[in-house]
Amino acid sequence: MRTSATPRSLGWLLLPALLVLALFLGSVVLLFLNAFWTKDGFSLVYFRQIVERTDYHEVLLRTVSISVVVALAAAVLAYPIAWLLWRLPRWRNLLLVIVLVPWLVSLVVRTYGWLVILGPKGFLNEALAWIGAIQSPLPLIFNDLGVVIGLTHVLMPFAVIATLSVLLQIDTRLEEASESLGASGFDTWRRVVLPLSLPGVFTGIGITFLTSMGAIVTPILLGGLRQKMAGTQIYQEVVYNFNMSKASAWALCLLLLSGLGLVVLRALEGALVPKADR
Amino acid sequence: MRRGSISVAGVGKEFGTTTVLNAVDLAIEGGSFVTLLGPSGCGKTTLLRLIAGFLEPSRGAIAIDGAAMQGVPPRRRPIGMVFQNLALFPHLDVFENVAYGLKVRGAPAADIAGPVSRFLGLVGLAGFERRRIGQLSGGQKQRVALARSLVLEPAILLLDEPLSALDLQLRRQLQVELKSIQRQLATTFVFVTHDQEEATLLSDIIVVMDGGRVQQVGTPGEIYRRPTSPFVARFVGDINMLPGRIVSIDAASAEIDVGGRRFRLPLAAVIGKTRAGASCDVACRPESISVQHGSGAAADTGASFEARVGALHRLGPMLKVSFDTVHGPLTGLMMTNTPTAQLVENQLVRLSLATDSLTVFANP
Repeated sequence: MRTSATPRSLGWLLLPALLVLALFLGSVVLLFLNAFWTKDGFSLVYFRQIVERTDYHEVLLRTVSISVVVALAAAVLAYPIAWLLWRLPRWRNLLLVIVLVPWLVSLVVRTYGWLVILGPKGFLNEALAWIGAIQSPLPLIFNDLGVVIGLTHVLMPFAVIATLSVLLQIDTRLEEASESLGASGFDTWRRVVLPLSLPGVFTGIGITFLTSMGAIVTPILLGGLRQKMAGTQIYQEVVYNFNMSKASAWALCLLLLSGLGLVVLRALEGALVPKADR
Repeated sequence: MRRGSISVAGVGKEFGTTTVLNAVDLAIEGGSFVTLLGPSGCGKTTLLRLIAGFLEPSRGAIAIDGAAMQGVPPRRRPIGMVFQNLALFPHLDVFENVAYGLKVRGAPAADIAGPVSRFLGLVGLAGFERRRIGQLSGGQKQRVALARSLVLEPAILLLDEPLSALDLQLRRQLQVELKSIQRQLATTFVFVTHDQEEATLLSDIIVVMDGGRVQQVGTPGEIYRRPTSPFVARFVGDINMLPGRIVSIDAASAEIDVGGRRFRLPLAAVIGKTRAGASCDVACRPESISVQHGSGAAADTGASFEARVGALHRLGPMLKVSFDTVHGPLTGLMMTNTPTAQLVENQLVRLSLATDSLTVFANP
């Protein structure tokens, strides 16, 4: 058989990848330059703002805490779904499509869907009022709760897929072995399946946490007017104030916090997840 | 009676429209080492999983120590199981793997360390408690899997081809150890294998299976010397099959004709519907063929034939010889250091078959 091309002559195939890499690295460099090079020359003024202004502390704190809550909620809600998908191989494809359907709908449309359900005159409040459970509408939206609900909904499929991919690697005979050693189904789940699936859960937490840290549309549409997250803050600086330097400073802080979050997550994973040999 | 007896009565199993087991009857005595032997797809693993409780029979019943097992899940059966791929828990170390069953039972920590170290000692893994599973060799994993099941002191240990992934030398060594462990504990071992040598080496009783049915049950000696079907004769050990004819039958014996040579065999050695004139296959083990040098030397009586020496294969102390005869090729096996084994290719010799070791299968 004739080899049609040597690896060397195929080098040009790397061009698109290099282009993407160059654009990415270029923008990161620009981000750094912008953050430190303001219209008054080199300055740390925007970083100082972030460090000193308590309203900004609040924004960062809200960003981190909402992201943590969303990541945990998505992980907890996704686990039973992933487990079911794993347990029902016959239904797996259909169920997977159902899990992924939210991604087929545009972000804005999906978020407005929550308005219809959670709003003061939304389905849920009307239904609760109709059965007499509440007198006045519950504040389910235009606050942090609304943001958490919206983000968890959007991001949960990531957690489902991350968990499922690890569950699928578990040898089913481990369960049989456990059962032959006297363990009930729950014992087997607690002692074998759960520890072996935790790496997937942590991967899911990582993905949802990072994505939620940078969220913009959902907090704008479902959050309170005055309750900004870092993403919305950056969006405002770019779109309304045209202050690229301030936006860049915020972006770097967000990057730093996200990185810190990942470090903490890895440490937790190292402490909680037993190392499994494959 | 010793604990660990198994009774399988009229058990059948279907997967969809495929029948995997058909009317299997089997009585296994407590404390014995029983091997389910057969080619792949014969239903031996299915039978093992039925005894374990991972499957329920489509028909028939299984009882352990007299107690019906229908609807009893594996965890409530007095069984342990060693899986083909071992299925050790990869996130636990050696100690935790062996302690697993005891912990599930809710044994206090003080009552766990003792049995675990005793059984790790039994399988020769003392001092390996804190090793990770990934750090163990194939043979060591094998021993952990064994200890993990045995520490719960089940009445019955089910082993599903546990040695098949190991190299020959290690396999031989573990076979010997397995047998000695079984003798010490007097636990019933039900061992599934497709390797007839392994079955012969290990077992008190061999159950030969084929096509979802039990073909023969017996000690390794019985199975080897007195196979009850051509399948068993061919599957266990080497065998020569010579086409022949049943000439006549009387109360105690039958006269058999192979290519004009006639000899008498006791009726017990004739399997199947015996009637005069029926064609038959005469089964002869290679070591039952003896060689006289020089053709035509001995009288042309009994079960003896002229033959030409074909290929010679030396197997350590044994010599395996292919002979060409008018009845087709025959395989002979003899000790290398005997005078009759001094053979060269194309040499003409006379073969005689030890008639007391022959089995005749009458064709229907």
